[in-house]
Amino acid sequence: MDLKDFDPSLATHDLIQDLKWNPPLRDEFAANEAAVLDRYPLREAERKALEARDFRSLYDLGLHPYLGGQLARLIYGNEAGKGATVAVNKLVESLTGGKAE
Amino acid sequence: MAEIVFAAGAPHAPGLIGLLEAAPNDVKDVVIHTYRTLAERIRAAKPDALIVFANDHLANSRVRAYPDFLIGMAEEHSGPHEWFKPWIGCDDYTVKGDRDLAEKLFHGLNRRGIRMFAQHENLYFDDNISVPVLLTDLNDGSIPMVPVLQNCTVPPFPDQYKSYEAGKALGDFIREDLPSDMRIALLGSGGLSHEPGGARYYFIDEEFDRWFLEASASGDHEKLLSELTIERMEKAGVGGTTELLAWIVVLGAIGPHRGESFGYVVHKDFKCGVGAVHWHLDQPVT
Repeated sequence: MDLKDFDPSLATHDLIQDLKWNPPLRDEFAANEAAVLDRYPLREAERKALEARDFRSLYDLGLHPYLGGQLARLIYGNEAGKGATVAVNKLVESLTGGKAE
Repeated sequence: MAEIVFAAGAPHAPGLIGLLEAAPNDVKDVVIHTYRTLAERIRAAKPDALIVFANDHLANSRVRAYPDFLIGMAEEHSGPHEWFKPWIGCDDYTVKGDRDLAEKLFHGLNRRGIRMFAQHENLYFDDNISVPVLLTDLNDGSIPMVPVLQNCTVPPFPDQYKSYEAGKALGDFIREDLPSDMRIALLGSGGLSHEPGGARYYFIDEEFDRWFLEASASGDHEKLLSELTIERMEKAGVGGTTELLAWIVVLGAIGPHRGESFGYVVHKDFKCGVGAVHWHLDQPVT
């Protein structure tokens, strides 16, 4: 993995930034993810990867890994030593196809 | 001629707060001692203000409109931004700002050809500013802070040479534009090796970290800049290790000086190498 794959035009970047910056949007994402995704100009493969929690495909499409880490926390949990650890392990599993260390 | 009276680099891994209690005692002791030492030395230098350069971490701007340097001009800086609070595991804090210095910095660096952006509004701070502030008690109101959030990871970002040039302009600004009795402290916040969001999230490159700490403390900037390539930093952790470029800005500002490397510790759960360098401003390297 390297930053050469980074594609700033990918709308998932905006989705993640908005989720970080906007607590009501986070609540809506948790309650009705599809309705939130509908508002972003996501490519078909991008949306499928988001729905499948397929970080490997999102990175291959050009998602910046730093925001990938934040997306994992938005989905799996954001608390130090708790949900945030689950998020790291789920992300690494998706990226490596195996278990995290 | 204003004076740079303190210069250091130190990491800001969120685990240094949220995961510190669960760390082994020997690790905990090293971390606490490292940041206590920095806190004491900053205060001993009696600065009028502290300028902190730190990776923005994509916290403030969209990836398609991303500034290389974003100055916080607020009268007072509050953090962390609410989403980062549970992740860092910290309390809310407030640090005194220095609007006049921030405005002068904005104009001074732009005039010197370094494109700066600036906001009067409170910037979004994650671990970049929150961790050094809280671990060195900068929220005690004793030292005003001007944060400069740097693009260390959204390509194309300023490499080691461009970051050093920005630092040289910063040093020139401090010496030439600020009041002659003003005392400025500088901190580069970030590093060491880490790969946030990557497949090697738990990877810490101890060999790289020890090399970097020694090289940055040696005062041989020409050698450091020729060897600290983006490729080498990415090998030590994609998307994270390059935030050492914030240290390079500080080095550009002070010029070649010997430093003291201390407090290196590896703890897997921090997901980041930890160690600091304090540059001795009375030990120039010629």
